[in-house]
Amino acid sequence: MSLAWGKVTGESRNGAVEKGAIRIDDVVKVYDPDGAAVLAVDHCTLEIQPGEICMIVGPSGCGKTTLLNAIAGFHSLTSGAIYLDDEMLCGPGKPTANPGPDRVVVFQNGALFPWKTILDNVSFGPVMQGRLDRKAANEKARQMMSDAGLSGTEDNYPGELSSGVRRRVEIVRALMNDPKVLLLDEPYRALDSLTKSVMHEALLEIYYKNRVTIFFITHDLEEAIFLGHRVVIMTTRPCKPKKILDVDIPHPRDYSVLTAPRFRELMEETIEAVHEEARKAFEAGEREG
Amino acid sequence: MTAARSVEQRGEHHQLLKAAMPFQVVSSETIQKIADAARLVSFNPGTMIYRRGERADDVFVIVRGRVEHTLGPGGSETNLVRLLQPGEVFGWAALLKTQRIRLADSLALEETQCLAIDGRALLRILGSDESGDVVMSRFATMIKRDFHAPDWMADLRPIPHEVRARQLSGLSLTMFRISAWLRSPRPYLMFVGFALFIGFWHLASEVWKLPRFSELPGPVAVIQEWTSKNPVYGISIYTSDYYLDIGVSIRRVAIGFSLATALGIPLGLFLGWSRTFRDYVFPVFELLRPIPILAWVPLAIVMFSGLETPVIFLTFLASFYATALNTMLGVESIDETYFRAAYCLGAGRWKVFRHVVVPGALPFIFTGLQISMGVAWFSLVAAEMVSGRYGLGYLIMNSYTTVRYPTIIIGMITLGVVGYATSALVRIVGDYLMQWRVRELSLGGTS
Amino acid sequence: MIRAARGPTLRRGIVSIAVFLVLWEIGSNSKAWLGFTIPLVGAIPAPSDVVVVWASLLHDGGYWQSCFLSVLRVLAGFFAAMIIGIPFGLALAINRTAYATWFPTFEVLRPIPPLAWVPASIIFWPTQELSITFVTFLGAFFTIVLNVIGGARSIDVRYFQAARSMGSSSFDIFRRIILPGVLPSIAVGAAVGMGITWNVVVAAEMISGGASQATGAGGGLGFFIWNSYVGGSYPQIVVGMISIGIAGYLSSELLRKLGQRITPWLRTH
Repeated sequence: MSLAWGKVTGESRNGAVEKGAIRIDDVVKVYDPDGAAVLAVDHCTLEIQPGEICMIVGPSGCGKTTLLNAIAGFHSLTSGAIYLDDEMLCGPGKPTANPGPDRVVVFQNGALFPWKTILDNVSFGPVMQGRLDRKAANEKARQMMSDAGLSGTEDNYPGELSSGVRRRVEIVRALMNDPKVLLLDEPYRALDSLTKSVMHEALLEIYYKNRVTIFFITHDLEEAIFLGHRVVIMTTRPCKPKKILDVDIPHPRDYSVLTAPRFRELMEETIEAVHEEARKAFEAGEREG
Repeated sequence: MTAARSVEQRGEHHQLLKAAMPFQVVSSETIQKIADAARLVSFNPGTMIYRRGERADDVFVIVRGRVEHTLGPGGSETNLVRLLQPGEVFGWAALLKTQRIRLADSLALEETQCLAIDGRALLRILGSDESGDVVMSRFATMIKRDFHAPDWMADLRPIPHEVRARQLSGLSLTMFRISAWLRSPRPYLMFVGFALFIGFWHLASEVWKLPRFSELPGPVAVIQEWTSKNPVYGISIYTSDYYLDIGVSIRRVAIGFSLATALGIPLGLFLGWSRTFRDYVFPVFELLRPIPILAWVPLAIVMFSGLETPVIFLTFLASFYATALNTMLGVESIDETYFRAAYCLGAGRWKVFRHVVVPGALPFIFTGLQISMGVAWFSLVAAEMVSGRYGLGYLIMNSYTTVRYPTIIIGMITLGVVGYATSALVRIVGDYLMQWRVRELSLGGTS
Repeated sequence: MIRAARGPTLRRGIVSIAVFLVLWEIGSNSKAWLGFTIPLVGAIPAPSDVVVVWASLLHDGGYWQSCFLSVLRVLAGFFAAMIIGIPFGLALAINRTAYATWFPTFEVLRPIPPLAWVPASIIFWPTQELSITFVTFLGAFFTIVLNVIGGARSIDVRYFQAARSMGSSSFDIFRRIILPGVLPSIAVGAAVGMGITWNVVVAAEMISGGASQATGAGGGLGFFIWNSYVGGSYPQIVVGMISIGIAGYLSSELLRKLGQRITPWLRTH
């Protein structure tokens, strides 16, 4: 499976990207709240290439967060397995993966520790793992923050900054750990569209420098097509890939892509599928109320 | 070279700035400030706007005309020369961190008008807008992408630190709040309330001598007694016994409260942290909790020898419950997401305890400590009244039985003051330890 | 507190309480059984003795009368606090001028422990009952007012805006937005206030019950405990303590259930 890389500017990590391949193999997840078994994920199989930006689109409550949580190690699997670079994260005999710095999550409502300064937050990972001592970690943190245009915020507390800045800091915090995969759970959902577009460009910039695999959940189709190499459209609960779109717009991309004819074509191809699932989810919600 | 601007021109410039790439994300207010700070400058065709090596003060935005921009050695090989149109921004060397000299030649190809903005002023204005750092980021992008400048060239100055996050130091914030308070009707109404209360008390007990009220000592009697060098009933601010009583009570509360804190916080933390621990310990805790502290008085006297220890024990017990319970609630209140984030980032269980559980529970812990302090005084007074020697509670009770009524009021007021002071002390320590919360609250919370 | 617990939690709870009782029994009888007295616990009467005494007390009219008296006082003081405290709190929450005038005075009086008011209360009120009730009232009053004010302030300002934009009158707003919005806080304040009330009643009964037996007033569980101590029947002390604990717990739970009933919208599925 080839990816439409296009011309790449900026430095890439040792040329070819080798790590961060995710294989989701026939995963089933059943919740059992008070005895009423709820099927959240229904035999989902998906393969994600190393260094790929894989966007997962689906209506709210469809189970896509469950998938992300299973990869991260917060939820267990009922059956099936998930592999990272051919190593089993979770599967038969080990229903829950161990959370770890090779698959860092950026959460929907942000999870910067409010009681730590931005600098302490960003250097948290390497210091906790013992990989770097505090001084080295701080230096690396300052460097990465400066690369991301965040210099000057180091001594603030998260509560003093705007959500857009906080999101970007969280991504830097994740990348400090040289993760193989970045798991993003609707991180820009609560931002206004102006800030969102800036976030997208910032994320791509970071991506071009680091080439991590990105597993990005969103309900915003435009966001998905703009950022992703592939867009996976999930059915409403229980979730399962309904349609997979190869976004053949070359990287590096900027906001002018949004008005390109190819972009519009891709939107047309997929919007029907997304809308159908959205309507199903809406009606399902109505009946349960 | 500079010209005054008419109203229509100002409107036009506002639009122009708003459309310029780096400024698209800022508020209209900030655009206005930038527009006001800018000067309109004109150049004849063929004039050099600036040359390489000159000092860089201004950033330019083209209003009319065309500019040829030639980036000096150090830029990339291709595209050395750029043709700039109205609406484009150049002269950004004024914003660079390391060197404030021009890196390019800028030539006006035709009759050209520009808005010139002083670099330092621009940084200051951006510092007061919350998207300021985004603008700088966009400048950097523009420099690297449109001008094809290498990374090092886009190393921009940071926005002035002290203005950026609207950080107000504790003191200046307090001064601001005090001055705002003084300007409102609040302090005056407050005094009206006090006056009405004390006035009524005085009138009822000492002037009109209403039934029942006449038995009570009035404020005048109390104050006279309190401030007299030779008090009729033996207690005033000049007698040492007064301070002895205060000291004894404070000492008891201090010991009880400290013990309760030292034992209660760890217990609460573990109760919240470990399901297993909670399952085993909480039932016993909850079993004993409904028993009012003061019901323990006789048992305490039986259990502990002497007169001091039972009193301190009761103070301790009340405090302990409040502290442990609130600490436990504090741990439970921590959003699960923080735990998940910490695990993701590679922290082990004990590290999570130290870096997430303890700081996360602190707000609740300190609320609990304030309650605990109040409860400690409550129990202490009761214990002293029932069976104590010295202490404010004892003073009040004794004054009653020996018919020294003004002293009762003195004791009550003293208790109120000391109780308030100790609670405030706890709150101040809490604020100091939780700088992050104070700052967040002072900004009214952010989105 | 006694909510339906799942398997292991319930088991562990039972185990821990059982262990607690066993240790208590051993500790109390340490002198006889172990030969030396364990400090503190050794002086406490054993659970077995307590149970025996309690069984005999259940037939004693005086015991039940004490319970009844205490409960009566608690309820009287508590309801007085609610009846006066809720309107007062609402008034302060709605009217800025009232708040600015009276809240500081309120805050100045609040740190004075309720029991410190006992002598003043006895001097002022003609009967002992009234003086105890007054002190009880004070104990709960401050908590309830504070909770009402806090509750009113926490009502999302958008509800007011929505109501005004739909043309509601001020009275309507009060009735349909403020009152329901404040109810949960009132419920919380009531539950906490109830706990304080019990504390105050017991203490007041111990203090004044002992001081003026002659008037025939007094009594109640607080006095019962104190009397047991003075009379040397220690197991009765523990009986009294547990009785108050049960009564206090029941009244708090009752309040909590009542609170849930009047705020059905807070229940989540």
